[in-house]
Amino acid sequence: MNTIDWIVLFGTLVLIVAYGVWKTRGSKDMESYLRGSDDVKWWTIGLSIMATQASAITFLSTPGQAYTDGMRFVQFYFGLPIAMIIISVFFLPIYYKLKVYTAYEYLESRFDMKTRMLAALIFLVQRGLAAGITIYAPSIILSSLLGWDLAITNIIIGVLVIIYTVSGGTKAVTQTQKQQMAVMMGGMVVAGVLVITSLPESVGFTDALHIAGKMDKLNVVNFEFDLSDRYNFWSGITGAVFLFLSYFGTDQSQVQRYLSGKSLSESRLGLMMNGLLKVPMQFVILFIGAMVFVFYQYNEPPIFFNDNVNESIVKTDSAAVYDSLEVRYTEVFTEKRTAIDKLVEEVHNGNEADIRSAQLEVNKLQAESDTLRKRAKEVIEATLPNVESNDKDYIFMHFVVNNLPQGIIGLLFAVMFSAAMSSTSSELNALGSTSTIDFYKRAINPKASDQTYLKSSRLFTLGWGVLAIIFASTLSLFENLIQAVNLIGSLFYPIVLGIFIVAFFFKGIKSNAVFIGAIISQALIGLVHYLNVEEMAGPLTMGYLWYNAFGCFLVIVISALLQLILNDGNKKGA
Amino acid sequence: MSVDQQNSSTNDMDEKPPVFKSWQGWYLFLIGTLSLFILLFYLFTQAFS
Repeated sequence: MNTIDWIVLFGTLVLIVAYGVWKTRGSKDMESYLRGSDDVKWWTIGLSIMATQASAITFLSTPGQAYTDGMRFVQFYFGLPIAMIIISVFFLPIYYKLKVYTAYEYLESRFDMKTRMLAALIFLVQRGLAAGITIYAPSIILSSLLGWDLAITNIIIGVLVIIYTVSGGTKAVTQTQKQQMAVMMGGMVVAGVLVITSLPESVGFTDALHIAGKMDKLNVVNFEFDLSDRYNFWSGITGAVFLFLSYFGTDQSQVQRYLSGKSLSESRLGLMMNGLLKVPMQFVILFIGAMVFVFYQYNEPPIFFNDNVNESIVKTDSAAVYDSLEVRYTEVFTEKRTAIDKLVEEVHNGNEADIRSAQLEVNKLQAESDTLRKRAKEVIEATLPNVESNDKDYIFMHFVVNNLPQGIIGLLFAVMFSAAMSSTSSELNALGSTSTIDFYKRAINPKASDQTYLKSSRLFTLGWGVLAIIFASTLSLFENLIQAVNLIGSLFYPIVLGIFIVAFFFKGIKSNAVFIGAIISQALIGLVHYLNVEEMAGPLTMGYLWYNAFGCFLVIVISALLQLILNDGNKKGA
Repeated sequence: MSVDQQNSSTNDMDEKPPVFKSWQGWYLFLIGTLSLFILLFYLFTQAFS
């Protein structure tokens, strides 16, 4: 990072925050603070929805995911357009008709206050945890790359978000997300072009595709049905639909985005825009990761992508072992590069048998390279137990810092900070709204003035922001950050979605049955997860994305059974 | 207001969408685009694997 990079980074962040505060300086009533300015167009809603979902984790982890595991992660997003349609048909019209501030208000009109409170409470717990991760995830990586203290990085991200979110509420969040999306998309497109142009002159774009494809990095679609396989076509169009239905249909951080629309049509179009663009957007981000992989077939990568860890390990007793692994890693890289040249040559010649033979040789060397990386991680884990031994999330920024020109490095850091800020601001905005509307206004102080609720909304948003910073500073390390967020969502979302599904489609099920059913289902999902972690789940062994469908199913079935029992009990008692 | 009343009265709020005659047109367009993406991704996977 040189002076130009710092100017680009801080210039971008300060301009966005200043714009958010200036643009929303007139937010003086609760309606405009929580719902926005009521004149938001569909494309602003669409961008806001996408910016809320696209956290820094998306841009840090996803290219690394493609580097190590190929592009198959894109299948996870196949369920998103389906979820957008279901929300547009069933959820959105009711939210609009009831003119709700939060999704959970609807549950009181359908069931009762305790069910509304339960769903709101699950949201606060789940989203409160996620807000901490949304700050922590980029902080741990950015602090390492920038040489900053982790707590300082947490505070910088958190405080910047708090400034404009507390000041301008929903409108500030929506307005700043337009700029943030422009920075994110612009930065990633520039990075994508630069990674392709950074390949050797002898390697054309089609050659790069053949190298990535034949090394199993362009494995975009897999139609094989396997419950234990986290990402395939079937999990994408079933399990992931439930996750996206929960997230976009019942998570206030998203519901608040599309409820700020000028009309029902504008909100629907915003959802359609998200449904159309999300899959290609994820494809592009993953594709950049696959191209970074090809780049590192011609430029030797480090055996471990976190340079700070590499510097630490050579000062320990494990230095000799680590060094021997690095030496062999370099030898394999050199052999592999020759094999890749041979593979490209055979692709040009077009003889399938020779291509297959060259491909096997390349993949054999890649397997050895992967084994050496795995052994290096084992050495790190044994020697430095408090250090994160997973470097997937460092891969993309390692490429950026070491290979992109001045100014662009600053821009890519601005992408990461903007992404962290855009999703965190929506989360804090929604946490503040739910705390005010579903708890403070409903249960604690129902007859206060509009100004009191406005003030409480600001205070709750501030409080959640401070809590998120504190939580971010005390988090331990996860295997993969994007998976950590999805896992937390998959543990809590299905219960809330189950309550909403019962509310919409099972009119015979009443409040007590769904309330008890939801609590039992939450406990069962926790148990199923524990059994899966301990590898004792037997027939209930499943990837965590399936919890979304399973948990929702549990709520419906248990609530229906309880309703039958309660009805029976009522009849006997009568 | 009951949920049934809410469902029926939400139809009154439906405005004609842009481009297509009804929202069903938009939904079919979205499903069609998703199907096209999946087909292209499948061909892409096969072409370079």
